[in-house]
Amino acid sequence: MRFTYLSAALMVPAMMFGQAKYTAPKTPWGDPDLQGLWPAAANIPMQRPANLADRSTLSKEEYDRQVTLARQREEADQQEFAPSAGGVTINPPGYWVERAKPHEQTSLVVDPPDGRVPPLTPSGRDVVKSLRGGLGPGQHFPDKVDSFEDFDFYSRCISRGLVSSMLPTLYNFGNHIVQGPGYVAIRNEMIHETRVIPVDGRPHAGKDIRTYMGDSRGHWEGDTLVVETTNLNDKTGTGSGYFSDAAKLTERFTRTGPKELSYDLTINDPKTWTKPWTIHYPYVMDTEYPVIEYACHEGNYMMSESLKGARLLEQQGKATKVDRGNAGGPAPGAQ
Amino acid sequence: MRIRILAAVGLFVAAVAPVGAHHAFQAEFDETKPVMLSGKVVKMEWINPHSWIHIAVVGADGKETVWMVEGGSPNIMIRRGFSKDSLKEGTELTVQGYQAKSGSNRANGGAITFKDGRRLFVGGSNPDDPDKGKQ
Repeated sequence: MRFTYLSAALMVPAMMFGQAKYTAPKTPWGDPDLQGLWPAAANIPMQRPANLADRSTLSKEEYDRQVTLARQREEADQQEFAPSAGGVTINPPGYWVERAKPHEQTSLVVDPPDGRVPPLTPSGRDVVKSLRGGLGPGQHFPDKVDSFEDFDFYSRCISRGLVSSMLPTLYNFGNHIVQGPGYVAIRNEMIHETRVIPVDGRPHAGKDIRTYMGDSRGHWEGDTLVVETTNLNDKTGTGSGYFSDAAKLTERFTRTGPKELSYDLTINDPKTWTKPWTIHYPYVMDTEYPVIEYACHEGNYMMSESLKGARLLEQQGKATKVDRGNAGGPAPGAQ
Repeated sequence: MRIRILAAVGLFVAAVAPVGAHHAFQAEFDETKPVMLSGKVVKMEWINPHSWIHIAVVGADGKETVWMVEGGSPNIMIRRGFSKDSLKEGTELTVQGYQAKSGSNRANGGAITFKDGRRLFVGGSNPDDPDKGKQ
């Protein structure tokens, strides 16, 4: 384990300062070969924490501290007996989550350089406000549970939508890329998605066809797979904004080493954000992290229990408002 | 100086931690209803998004009630080396958690231990964990 962390520590600066150009292996039909298991195992926050200001990476001391904390958490996980009887809350206990690997990158957002999602346009703000009859979007940790629509589409097991589908989560963060002549397919374990991306030059679907994961088309620029996605529906978005019909997402996948896959995603939706913004994620291959089926809606009792519970409290004359202060933090992608 | 660095790291950790578990815990369970349940495993449902352990709890009146205890995603358990055969019917467990707001006999599995105090789920699921799969 010590060796693994040491390797990670050595690898990060090499990636930051550029390294000898790596040539990706080729598939039998001659495309760069991106195939493999690429879990999003490093839990990097969407936006840079305010205290880290202009720093895109942690200092050595801060990173070492993260490594130490991760090691302590693992040691605690290994304890046969619980350390104390206390500490039980309604939030997920340790055994529910997979421990993220430490990483020096301070935010997924790398452009703008301050690591923050750019402001919404006035119309982008209006769209968010207008949702649910003026109540705003459904939440991952809703304030009120009057309707299933008070929950976001992730809680409802519908999708995480493209952008979130590629980003870290607390568990089930497997990703699997497979290729065939003319196609690249990306399987995401969380919420059970497979995106099949033609790379044969065909045009996008007609503009009236709009979906949660959008319509992706890829092409090769040297060893880089460039994927452009449009036709996203207006029920999905990221970073507090919702996609308009003008949204275009551009992803760039490049093998930068035998086990490294550099990923950049630019979100360009001039109706929603005041300028385009870009996320970077450093995928690392892990052949022991297969994508296991996650048929999320199979037993999603949370929805019926929550709605039933709120109605019961209502009948008893009690407040049904959920205390968001204890509700596990901001929604995914909104922090 | 050292304190300042630690404080900064603490903030960073706080910012990292909440990246999306799939669940609205506060909406489902009632913070004002903590429960401590001891009983025998009736069955374990390996279903998504989260598993449910059914335990038969005998109350003070001698009456048996089956409680459902919400656990982690089956995928996590597989990665920890836990299998469908790991938890036998009749195993005695103690659960600390909170009852559902709906008033049904469901609780979150905040802590689950065997009769002797050993934890049911031991071991990290970090992909780097050298003991992964040995449980």
